[in-house]
Amino acid sequence: MSQRSELRQQYEIIGSLQPAIHTPQNWNYEIPSALYRAYMHPPHDVGGQRDVPVHYEEKEEEQWELNTYVTCEVLAWRGVWNAEERRRRADNDLGYTLYLGMPYYGRWIWAAARMLVDKNHISLTELLEKIAEVKSRYEAH
Amino acid sequence: MQTTHQHAGGGHEHKAAPTVEEITDFEVLEIAVRELAIEHGLFTAEDHRRFTEWAESIGPAAGSRLVAKAWTDPAFKARLLADGTAACKEIGIDWAEPTGFGTPSDYMNFRVLEDTPTLHHVIVCTLCSCYPRPLLGMSPEWYRSTNYRRRLVRWPREVLAEFGLILPPEVEIRVEDSNQKCRFIVLPVRPSGTENWTEEQLAAIVTRDCMIGVALPRPGRTADVHPVHKARHPVHSSPSMRAAE
Amino acid sequence: MKRTKAPHARKSAGNAPARFKVGDRVRVKDLPNMFYSRTQMYARGVSGTIAACTYQDLIPEDEAFNQEGRLEQYYIVRFRQKDLWEEYPSEKDTLQTEFPDRWLEPA
Ligand SMILES: [Fe+2]
Repeated sequence: MSQRSELRQQYEIIGSLQPAIHTPQNWNYEIPSALYRAYMHPPHDVGGQRDVPVHYEEKEEEQWELNTYVTCEVLAWRGVWNAEERRRRADNDLGYTLYLGMPYYGRWIWAAARMLVDKNHISLTELLEKIAEVKSRYEAH
Repeated sequence: MQTTHQHAGGGHEHKAAPTVEEITDFEVLEIAVRELAIEHGLFTAEDHRRFTEWAESIGPAAGSRLVAKAWTDPAFKARLLADGTAACKEIGIDWAEPTGFGTPSDYMNFRVLEDTPTLHHVIVCTLCSCYPRPLLGMSPEWYRSTNYRRRLVRWPREVLAEFGLILPPEVEIRVEDSNQKCRFIVLPVRPSGTENWTEEQLAAIVTRDCMIGVALPRPGRTADVHPVHKARHPVHSSPSMRAAE
Repeated sequence: MKRTKAPHARKSAGNAPARFKVGDRVRVKDLPNMFYSRTQMYARGVSGTIAACTYQDLIPEDEAFNQEGRLEQYYIVRFRQKDLWEEYPSEKDTLQTEFPDRWLEPA
């Protein structure tokens, strides 16, 4: 705990600790209108929400991130989807947990995979088998 | 997933070439989706290669040249403010690239926001990360963060101060929330002390952050300094993960 | 290659006329939220001034579901920060953002 950098990391973690109130949700026969509206709020619309000061970071680009960007754009170039549909799928349809929890381009590639299955360009089985095959291909190296 | 909040300042160093065990879930998913799309004829490997070539050719230097030219050529500045997309062609930036109708995400409605001594613009996209890629390249990670997007529209003076930019109360701050199909850059006020400078000298102080509006150009300030989070497998470091090579 | 059409070359069901011009006072509608919107909650119900007429395009609610709609005029609207956030400390500061025609009404 002597390093200044470790202290800074501790501050980052402490700054993000928040109290949570968990209420039982077994019997959701009715929900208040305010809660319904909160559920319906598009997760990507974050302007004006409170947050704490952070260090604004640069990030070096990963190869898979560039590939993901290009794949998503080329899918739109060839008319398989459009950028607005991509934004809807990658920013709204995931729900808050994935929207706030996944990496930026992780959401893009996840949304592209989901779109290909939704539109029957590929089957889910095909996708799962491909993922398993790619994994074993790299592990077998 | 890596441990929470690693920073370059935290001293983790650049990883060497990847070992096979290190392939991440998203790397696997990216390869799977790309290969399936090509196998099903949704696009070709050549399409992917061509778009990658374009994506690797863009960067903030184009925006810097645009601003420097506007500072030195009043007639060009007038054309730029009247029709940004058309004026870009004069410095060799065609928003129609690389497809003939532009990228699917950047559109062709480019507008320049001109600062004055009493008006300062700053850009955000609260909904995602809309950004003028053809002129500035890929957006920085902080620009995409929920933190910047949440706070800038409501507490712009506080956020700008965190970037080191403290503006006097008599300067109007105008936030541009770039939420639809227009793309923007800020045309800052040319700083004093740059009289008789060449366009090239001027371009060197027009950094990316100045064109987003979170910094002001000044003589001697030629780089945006932020903590850098290093990639595990940065672009070009991993031939086996590069598409179509 | 099967598909070569540009996203912007898609057919639309016509153009809607622009109802506003630069300088007009407008209010952002507060329609219910469901599935998708690019009209920020912070602007709903707030009045501002048309700062620019930008282009005509599909509205996001259609485009995000790959539906053909009519093309609408888009506008950049300028708000006083104080009108958006009651506690905002400066009278001077402003915010601009963009909406298609149907999200606006005369103020
Ligand atoms: Fe965006």
